[in-house]
Amino acid sequence: MKHMSKFTFSILLILTSFFVNGQTKKTDSIPTKIQKYGIRFGADISKIAQSFYDKNYKGIEFVGDYRVTKNYYLAGELGNENTTVEDNRLNFTTKGTFLKVGFDYNSYENWLDMRNMIYLGMRYGASTFSKTLNSYKVYDTSTYFTEAPTVISGEKYDGLTSQWIEVVLGLKTEILKNIYVGFSVRMNRLLTNTKPDNFDNLYIPGFNRTYNGDFGIGFNYSVSYFLPLYKTKSVKKSITK
Amino acid sequence: MKKIQLLFICLFFITFSSCEKDDICDAATATTPKLIIEFYDILNPTIKKNVTNLAVKEINTTSSLAFTGTSKIQIPLRTKLDLTKYSLILNSTDAAIDNEDFLQFNYTRKNLFVSRACGFKTNFTLDPTLPFIKTETLIPDGYWIQNLVINTSNVTTENETHVKIYF
Repeated sequence: MKHMSKFTFSILLILTSFFVNGQTKKTDSIPTKIQKYGIRFGADISKIAQSFYDKNYKGIEFVGDYRVTKNYYLAGELGNENTTVEDNRLNFTTKGTFLKVGFDYNSYENWLDMRNMIYLGMRYGASTFSKTLNSYKVYDTSTYFTEAPTVISGEKYDGLTSQWIEVVLGLKTEILKNIYVGFSVRMNRLLTNTKPDNFDNLYIPGFNRTYNGDFGIGFNYSVSYFLPLYKTKSVKKSITK
Repeated sequence: MKKIQLLFICLFFITFSSCEKDDICDAATATTPKLIIEFYDILNPTIKKNVTNLAVKEINTTSSLAFTGTSKIQIPLRTKLDLTKYSLILNSTDAAIDNEDFLQFNYTRKNLFVSRACGFKTNFTLDPTLPFIKTETLIPDGYWIQNLVINTSNVTTENETHVKIYF
């Protein structure tokens, strides 16, 4: 259910983006191009939405970027998550705060004063969090004893930290004046990870689920507001297409 | 435009792949070990001896495990108690010659994290002063287990013999 709605939503967003892209095909011959520079800030709406429909999840992520040059943006995310994972054999709660900083490179050539983005970026991410092992099952290959394998634990592990890097692929589309929706996919790789004794960091706030090895996947759907600070005008020498 | 489409395909695939269900515990993973018992000949203690129609039953469990023609058996230990008491009946299929002995194993337990898919496992350490208690049936029929030696008191893997029984 949780995955399904994320999936549907991403398709919708992708379709929307195609639609917007379609419009950009119109050729025009106005030689001047206004570049607006400023700060964009917003939030990841998928985390807010999930906080409503998923009783095991409370999370928020603020996103922001600042346009430094024509194509480079200083970008970052700040968030907090409190989530309980109910796996077949483990039930644990992770609480913590994360911060990601880095840059986005916009590879999309906009027409006129459009400010859409298809970007590639990098982030350095860090998180401090705590974990509570609520319950677990003892794996026993023997089925001779029929006793329930679930053990109630409640053990808490404090002061855990992780650091990682992310490669970001994403797009942002201006749907109303200065209002953007965006989608990004992140490939994460852990750099440092303090593991609790006799347990593992199976979920890291901001990094998401960990897999065997150091890799992880994340994504966000952002809605953000662009606050223009100043403009530059550039004259295009030639217009192709 | 080609580049953009490729990107969308990537995004689509990655979003979709998050629907995959969790991995299952690999059978090759070392999880809760069983107690490994090997049988030896009391008259010739270096020679392994096969058991015939050995019925092994934990005293609070209704079903029993049957072994025959083998010198090595694996029996589970209870993971929620610090002791497991077994009844071991040799020649269990013949009422004329069957012989029942009780063995109670005393141990301490430690639950260790394995993985997301497997959860935890329990490792046992047999009690250093009283690792087992051997008892008779109500109507004594003599012990068939003549000697019992703890080979290793740490029950952490199924690759080694923990207990040697001589009969």
